[in-house]
Amino acid sequence: MKTWQRSLVAACALLALFGGVAYAQAPGAPPVEFPYTGNRTAVWIVAQLHILFAGFILGAPIFVVISEWLGYRKQDPRYDRLAKEVTKVTVILYSMTALTGGLFIFVLLATYPQFTTWLINHFYLLFAVIYPLLFISETILLYMYFYTWDSWKGEKKARHIALGVLLNLIGTITLFVIDGPTSFMNTPVKAEGISPQEYLATATLWDKIFNYSWMPLNLHRLVGNVTFGGFVAGLIAAYMYMGAKKEEERAYYDWMGFVGNLIGVGALLFLPFMGYLLAYELCDYDASICPYMMADQLSMFFEMQGAMIGLIFLASNYYIWLSMKRIVGVEKVRMTILAPIVMVVLPLVMTKVMTDYPVPDPTSLAFLLPLLLAPFLVGRFIPLTVSARTVIKVGFLMVVVGDAIWLTPHGFVPTGAKLVAELELPSDWNFLALMPAKNSAAFTLVFVTVVNYVIYNRAIGQGTIVWGKIDFISQFVLIFLAFSAIWTMGLMGAVRSLLRKYYHTYNLLPDFSAESFTPTLSYSAWWITAITVVFYAVVSFAILVTLRPSDSKGHAPEGSPVPAGAK
Amino acid sequence: MGNVIKKLMIGLVVGGALVGITRALEFPVVFQMMFFAYAILGAAVFILLDAPSLAPMSGIKSLIVLLAFYIVLCTAFISGASMWPQYDPEDEKGKIDKILKPKRAATEQGKAEELIARAKALDEQAKALAVRLKALGGDQATKDQSAGASPATTGAAPGDFMKLGEEQWQLQECYNCHKLKGEGGKKRGPELDNIGNLLTPDDIKQKILDPKSWMAEGFEKEYEKKKMPDKYKDLMEESDVVALASWLGTFKNTSVNTPKPIKKK
Repeated sequence: MKTWQRSLVAACALLALFGGVAYAQAPGAPPVEFPYTGNRTAVWIVAQLHILFAGFILGAPIFVVISEWLGYRKQDPRYDRLAKEVTKVTVILYSMTALTGGLFIFVLLATYPQFTTWLINHFYLLFAVIYPLLFISETILLYMYFYTWDSWKGEKKARHIALGVLLNLIGTITLFVIDGPTSFMNTPVKAEGISPQEYLATATLWDKIFNYSWMPLNLHRLVGNVTFGGFVAGLIAAYMYMGAKKEEERAYYDWMGFVGNLIGVGALLFLPFMGYLLAYELCDYDASICPYMMADQLSMFFEMQGAMIGLIFLASNYYIWLSMKRIVGVEKVRMTILAPIVMVVLPLVMTKVMTDYPVPDPTSLAFLLPLLLAPFLVGRFIPLTVSARTVIKVGFLMVVVGDAIWLTPHGFVPTGAKLVAELELPSDWNFLALMPAKNSAAFTLVFVTVVNYVIYNRAIGQGTIVWGKIDFISQFVLIFLAFSAIWTMGLMGAVRSLLRKYYHTYNLLPDFSAESFTPTLSYSAWWITAITVVFYAVVSFAILVTLRPSDSKGHAPEGSPVPAGAK
Repeated sequence: MGNVIKKLMIGLVVGGALVGITRALEFPVVFQMMFFAYAILGAAVFILLDAPSLAPMSGIKSLIVLLAFYIVLCTAFISGASMWPQYDPEDEKGKIDKILKPKRAATEQGKAEELIARAKALDEQAKALAVRLKALGGDQATKDQSAGASPATTGAAPGDFMKLGEEQWQLQECYNCHKLKGEGGKKRGPELDNIGNLLTPDDIKQKILDPKSWMAEGFEKEYEKKKMPDKYKDLMEESDVVALASWLGTFKNTSVNTPKPIKKK
């Protein structure tokens, strides 16, 4: 796609935004009826697609600029190449973000004109001035960043990196700004003793933006976008590795896949806690949201989420395992026996501690921090060690145990109203379905993954990595991780939207349409899969058109094998 | 292959042991099956860890394998999600209609819709009458008309009022936090079977409209954390709150230990 084509797409999107704002001022526009999907699903499809593209274009530049800086600092051309290749894909997907964004506004206005008018009026300054200005700034900065890549090198590289930092700053502000109305729909401003309508009439724009779930949503999306961007970088690497014809290309894309996965997993470790914070604030806002989410209509959505997170952690640890297998000398690596011991006892101890001192009581940290840090701080003084292979295998066992705890429900029913003894956990074991147990499962998954990376780090310190020689199945693991991460994003996005129940804006503006019910998980899964496939098709096409023709011309060959220490 | 069989056997043995233990602990069958599935998942993971390397692929072969992989993923995710118990939206649709009916009626569109519906009904009645008048004599038509009049002036019986209260209990999903008649509740709120002996309907109404007005003994944490939502005064009609409070006031089962309410406001 050429510059003028991209500019045209961006201009169309801006036109749609301004047109949408203007259209929203026209009263009494009747809603259209989308055939087959219905209005709500039509909005869902376009909104989710837009969020996926937006998530990538906001998340990828964060690690792109870090990668560029690492390349500059280490004088390792691979980092710079990774950054530039991901930016190429980002630029194409930026156009798609703008296009789907414009389409989203049109569909929203066509299907829910009254609500859209109401929302735009409440955030008029944001939709009509702030957001377009940020969007234009980001467009200029992204294209500047991309097109100055080759000219701003050498002594000017620091300037280029600074431009990347500025791009990220504007991108993050854009995310935070648009999260204002999004989170407002879930948790509109309220005050004790005043009706929501009365309070809303006196609330300022800042009051509306700075609502209960705004900052937790910002943090959740920020971390989620980096995770997602990292896994998509892994996907790019997997495609290119599969299509590579030369050894050095395979070596490079093997390395890129590893780095993409490292970024994805690194951010993923924080994601369960960011998600928990968001859920905590939503429940704090209105306690009736909690049972709806965890015990009632959406409970099985969370079961599916548990399954997906479990699979993602299994796959990312499996990738580390495959990465270790191609390190020459890995068999010499050993680790303190405390590591597997802590892995095994962690779910039990943590469930007990967090039951006695529930969140947000910080007393639990007094027990948990020493336990978690023991293998790293005390381990060196204990002479008993085990092989890295044994530690990793115990880790896999505990990932399965962690998944099992996360997945175990209070009852096999889609709603608490249908709970009967034949489908319910025995009361003595009900703790398995409560939050302390779920938190312990999340911590176990995170702890095992951290230990695996520590082992990996030790292995590359003592051995030699043979880049390009990884088991070919690892490329399918990378593809699986990206697909699963996108699918899970879709699932949790649906959950966040459904939490508004039969309201456009929770407890404030009812949705009188016939579609304001909770859909089944199966129906949702069909659409989430369809959206993921469409997104995947576009991303795959973007990768093919941006990276394939260049065929690595002009890139300095990366040697293979590379001494591990050079990484 | 021997390695695969060995690990599969271990998985089956562990799964069997888990089924035996969970059966002894009186877990329902569905949970026993779930624990068995975890053991098989564990076996699959360990089989995969030591599986031989996959030979590199390229060209059309890798493309076909890739497409097949995507088809498998899509099928697995959709069927995986479809295997969990599914919520029936029909359970909710009627509830939503009832909850939103007064809100819809209060909107301009609702008022217009109601007027249109009334006009349509009157129009149909007029047309039907005209047809009858044509076909029959005037006396007969008048008789028919009076017989077909709707009983609009009939007042609600006390039984209907209690039914309305019970309906509000279901509509507002109070059962998610409070146990009543042995059903619902997750210990988030007090069990209410004896609430009629502890609070009057007016007190209950006050508690629903202003959750900070009363605190159940032993629920200090929940009270401080404002677990009971302060939203019903905005969401419910006055008559619905009165009906719910009156219905709850009829629960006087002394065998249930409903915690003592403490007046806070």
